[in-house]
Amino acid sequence: MSENGILLSIGGLSVFFFTEEGVAKAVQDVSFSIEMGKTFALVGESGCGKSVTALSIMRLVPAPPGKIVSGEIVFKGRNLLTLGESQMRQVRGNKIAMIFQEPMTSLNPVYTVGNQIAEAIRLHQRKSTGQAWSDAVEMLGKVGIADPAQRVSEYPHQLSGGMRQRVMIAMAVSCEPQLLIADEPTTALDVTIQAQILDLLDELQEQNRMSILLITHDLGVVAERADDVAVMYASRIVEVGDSQSLFAEPLHPYTQGLLKSLPRLGFSGKRLQTIPGSVPEPLHFPSGCKFHPRCPTGCSDKKCQTMEPALREVRAGRCVACWHTKGYEEK
Amino acid sequence: MSRESQKESSWGVSYGQLVWREFTKSRLNVFWLIVIIFLFIVAVLAPFLANDKPFMIRIDGKLYFPLFRDLGPSDYSIFLAAVVVLAQLLLTWRNRKCIEPSIRGQVLWRQICISSSIIFIGVILIFVFVPRRLDATDYESMVASGKASDAVFAPIPYGYARTNLKVREQTPNVEHWLGTDDVGSDVLCRLIHGSRISLSVGFVAVGISSVIGVVIGAILGYFGGKVDFVGMRIVEIMMAIPVFFLIITIVAFFPRSLLNIMIIIGITSWTGDARFIRAEFFKLRKQDFVQAAVSLGLPLRSILFRHMLPNGIAPVLVNATFGIAGAIFIEAALSFLGFGVAPPTPSWGQMLSLGVSTTGRFLWWLTLFPGLAIFLTVLAYNLVGEGLRDAIDPRLRKAA
Repeated sequence: MSENGILLSIGGLSVFFFTEEGVAKAVQDVSFSIEMGKTFALVGESGCGKSVTALSIMRLVPAPPGKIVSGEIVFKGRNLLTLGESQMRQVRGNKIAMIFQEPMTSLNPVYTVGNQIAEAIRLHQRKSTGQAWSDAVEMLGKVGIADPAQRVSEYPHQLSGGMRQRVMIAMAVSCEPQLLIADEPTTALDVTIQAQILDLLDELQEQNRMSILLITHDLGVVAERADDVAVMYASRIVEVGDSQSLFAEPLHPYTQGLLKSLPRLGFSGKRLQTIPGSVPEPLHFPSGCKFHPRCPTGCSDKKCQTMEPALREVRAGRCVACWHTKGYEEK
Repeated sequence: MSRESQKESSWGVSYGQLVWREFTKSRLNVFWLIVIIFLFIVAVLAPFLANDKPFMIRIDGKLYFPLFRDLGPSDYSIFLAAVVVLAQLLLTWRNRKCIEPSIRGQVLWRQICISSSIIFIGVILIFVFVPRRLDATDYESMVASGKASDAVFAPIPYGYARTNLKVREQTPNVEHWLGTDDVGSDVLCRLIHGSRISLSVGFVAVGISSVIGVVIGAILGYFGGKVDFVGMRIVEIMMAIPVFFLIITIVAFFPRSLLNIMIIIGITSWTGDARFIRAEFFKLRKQDFVQAAVSLGLPLRSILFRHMLPNGIAPVLVNATFGIAGAIFIEAALSFLGFGVAPPTPSWGQMLSLGVSTTGRFLWWLTLFPGLAIFLTVLAYNLVGEGLRDAIDPRLRKAA
């Protein structure tokens, strides 16, 4: 694919939740790969399975009721799904780290932030308490917290949301992971802070040469920062491609709809377009292509209503799961 | 000093300090806490308050210190424990000012580990090396007959095991402030020494039950699912058994020693703690910071006991104070029924049972004073527990 090599590749991942109301197929047959040092974005509406995909990589899907029913997650040649719990602990935090959506609740309220960062450092890098503590101070400085020597001994409730997210990032990055999973890292923050946090992630990515799996529903964020993008809809990936060409020419009707519903610079007067209908519930997915009830092109098509399209490569580096891609294919 | 207080204010207020502040807002809480502290002091200093050996006595021109010589290994153990606990409290108080909050928890934990190992090893050493003395000399009659002089007695100059049939079943009077029992022992003296039994039963039994309950509850709550299902059924079976009758049955099989009673009360009363911790952990394990801790690759031990337990321990601490009251009560009831510690070891429940003497007379002072002691102690622990609960979770108080 490129000279960088592939860090993580997911193949045919399916995660189901076995609830009393029935089987919720949260993730079905998801495949993608992340290159070293690149940012891969997973985009989709809430409930489409992007967070569950991220949790599966960490093997954190709550079980029961959740279960990874099939697929493989290969990280640097090892299938994470076959690792034992203790081997998995070596990976978590050390090789793959994660930032959560809610900075307000992601820090333990009874320990100071320094204590929490230092614990991860002590554990994974086998450093002494004092060394880990000074590393924690250094990390806080790195993530742009003013007066880190002072802040390091404060409790989470003494920090603002943006600062807490910075602390979370410091914690996640402190052991220099090769892959950072950022699950909607900016959703809970206000707009000015969002940009700062994303800039910080870019900066750290450059310093540590790590890959980022960015999970978001914010297309604006994706267009700017991601190298590659996968669009998820109702538990499946519907389109994958490098972000430039994907945004320039979306191929799947869902992606097209999403982009049309975004306000653009210089756009004024007219109402924004919306995609009619709403996201189907995981317990009651429509038959065939899951997007067909809302699709402007395929509603009447028998094939769309009965058969699920697979993700096919229609151009170099561009994959789409749609029956109506004939026109896009390069001859 | 000013620098210190400045530093302190910039550190903010820790959770412990917040709870303490909230707790001391109510004068009643402070009052009952003082009652508990008073009971502790009485229990620790019992041999100096009530003893038939004099502090100091001159016999044939030579000075003796029989009281100090008579102290046994259990006395020294209690003194050691009291001194270490006091030192620990002072240290904790000092930590507040001169140790950064970030490492204060760790420092405190380390100090508590050191203190408890000092107590543990010290008690073993004391029991190995300090001999049990039995000084049966009747110093009082020696003084009365003029053989000895310069005697300094304890405020209550009677031993708890000393019988004197000449003064049996006396109502409270100038010599015996709270009267005497069926074998002529001083009631006040036995009350004072009995407080040791009550308090140690309360603390040791609750310590045992809390540890069992926390570990079982943590595992059930964290894993959930099948583990929880099986575990909770076992807990429910334990709860369905009337504990008091179970204890009576078990006690009947084992020698009547204090340690046995503590252990039996401890291993039969952990279900409440297990249920509290399980419920807390159910709530906590879905919290983001627990997920974050798991995603950092921390070991299960750290996640359960370092990250989750401090966030869910409050109900157990509160329950512990109620548990102490409960254990004291159970011990008193066991002793009352004759399953408790064997006489002459003084126990409040056992004294209470002497209220109706073999002759059928109702000896009111033998019922009233030990009964009052049990009542006050149990009440004090319950009210402090309630105050603590309100301080930890102010929402509860509003609801009540």
